[in-house]
Amino acid sequence: MNELAARLAALDADAGAALQVIAYFDSLVEGRAGLQSIVRGAAVLAGCPARLDDDARRVHIRMLPDGIAAPLPGPADGSWPGQPVGTAMLRLERAGEPGPVDAMVLERATGAAGAVLDRTRGRAPARDPAAVELVVDASAPADVRLQAARRLGLPVHGTAYAVALASGECRLAAAGTPAPTTRAGIGPAVPLLDLPESHRAARTALRFAAEGTDEDPGETSVHFEELGALAVLAAVPHPAGVPDVRALEHAAGGASWVLTTLHAVASTSSLRAAATVLCLHHSTLQDRIGHAEHLLGWSVREPQGRLRLQLALTLRRLHRHPS
Amino acid sequence: MTTTRALPPPFDPELGAALAAMADSLPPAVTPDMIPALRQRGAGPRTTDDELRRDGRFSIEERAVPGLDGDPDISLLICRPTAPTGTLGCLYHVHGGGMFLGDNRTGVPQMLLDWAEEFNLVVVSVEYRLAPETQHPGPVHDCYAGLLWTAEHAGELGFDPDRLMIAGASAGGGLAAAVALMVRDLGGPALLGQMLIYPMLDDRNNTPSALQMAGLGIWDYTANQTGWGALLGDAAGGPDVSPYAAPARAEDLSGLPPAFVEVGSAETFRDEDVAYASRIWQAGGQAELHVWPGAFHGFDMTMPTAQISRDARRARVAWLNRLFNA
Repeated sequence: MNELAARLAALDADAGAALQVIAYFDSLVEGRAGLQSIVRGAAVLAGCPARLDDDARRVHIRMLPDGIAAPLPGPADGSWPGQPVGTAMLRLERAGEPGPVDAMVLERATGAAGAVLDRTRGRAPARDPAAVELVVDASAPADVRLQAARRLGLPVHGTAYAVALASGECRLAAAGTPAPTTRAGIGPAVPLLDLPESHRAARTALRFAAEGTDEDPGETSVHFEELGALAVLAAVPHPAGVPDVRALEHAAGGASWVLTTLHAVASTSSLRAAATVLCLHHSTLQDRIGHAEHLLGWSVREPQGRLRLQLALTLRRLHRHPS
Repeated sequence: MTTTRALPPPFDPELGAALAAMADSLPPAVTPDMIPALRQRGAGPRTTDDELRRDGRFSIEERAVPGLDGDPDISLLICRPTAPTGTLGCLYHVHGGGMFLGDNRTGVPQMLLDWAEEFNLVVVSVEYRLAPETQHPGPVHDCYAGLLWTAEHAGELGFDPDRLMIAGASAGGGLAAAVALMVRDLGGPALLGQMLIYPMLDDRNNTPSALQMAGLGIWDYTANQTGWGALLGDAAGGPDVSPYAAPARAEDLSGLPPAFVEVGSAETFRDEDVAYASRIWQAGGQAELHVWPGAFHGFDMTMPTAQISRDARRARVAWLNRLFNA
């Protein structure tokens, strides 16, 4: 039995244990310990396997609590407690919420690992617009595109997806890494050479992404794959000319709450749910819907009318975000 | 004129981290007044018979055997593999503990039984009398008497007398080296090898490493002074110390069994242990020396999970493999 781990177990939840964990990792940093030592420290002190994954730098280290390096048995489980540092993620392979010592181990080990990653493995690849442009250019030679993808830290034999941002910027990310939470269109995960398709899809999805304001209510990040048949609406040449869109604009001019109210009605499964989303009393919502229907010229409470509303809202958004 | 002490070598990062985390409970210095408390703490969870039996893979026995020249009986812990896969050898073990701590189960389950399983060894561990209650030569005589009994009873214990080795760590390493000297000088049973793990060899306590590491790591200058003082009283460091008490005092290191000597670069014993291996070579003997960089005394027991501890254990097993199988 490891003397230090045993002592920590005995001190669990005690301030003494936290101080020892801090002293341990501070000393590792001071001694310029490597990544294996840091991940091993996390595994030994937490008493469960620990792993450090950094797809961008292709760093994968897994240690068992007895200090042995062990191969990765598979992708990390999203339910394990973990802490990100830059493009890396340190996880403890343990079910459930981390205990107080675990949380301290994660925090300290992650800090130590981040410093070592930056020092020894180079900064995570900077966003390189030229390289991204090359990867999503289907007319460029395949080997050149793969080289650019490798430079961007993408998994050469894995899959990746494109993200189109409101700024016009395109980003590429390995499958499984989280997408941005700002307004974005997200393409499907594909083999690297198919990224031009993912990029096209992401740009289309971006048009369906709302700003999330009263003027433009709706989801701010949209996955192309979730659009389904709605995606064909992107081909409509002049959405603003569609009569239902004109009616919607007319209704929107009637009161500031019209668009958010209609969006809530169109995107929830019941009026009660819509009232909850809007923080309105049920009867107030009924009154508002009646008013909006009067302005629109059709009922939004019947399935047919709901579909008309959904299409009108979508076409209005496509008009606001032209390709 | 002022002299400045040389900077100590840095600790291995993982070992240094363990030391930093345990600083409050592992003071480098040990003074004589701390002995009772240390004994009490060490007496905590004693290794149980079940731990030693390893699910029936060992049979265990505590055997009282005669001391040397009318000394009181001593107790030997005997762990025998119940299903050996080859010719049995014997590892005769002398526990550590600064001459004043520990018992014959110290270190046995952690390390010796693994080797016993891998190399088909009977483990015999001696309960020698401790200092300061028993000063030199009592402890080393007990160790020698236990070895004599073990060799004489090779048939009963079932091991090949040509496959008998001695091993010890820290104070146990010093006593093991001393027993090897006694065997040579007194015509005792032939030893196949002596495994000296960071052995405590030199009561003079004045090497550069002893001075350089004072106040640092584990078992520093002060602690070493306490250990030798317990064993030798006022004679420690003086002109008339026997090599059977402090093997570094031996004039002649020829004719000894092959030695495995291991020590950390960041501990009191570094220079006396390196010198002991060098002097064995100079005397025409065989020794294998490992100096683990940045390791403090007992590093592998304090932080067994550290990479360097794993590497040190592997080196021991590799030597044992050459000793018994090559």
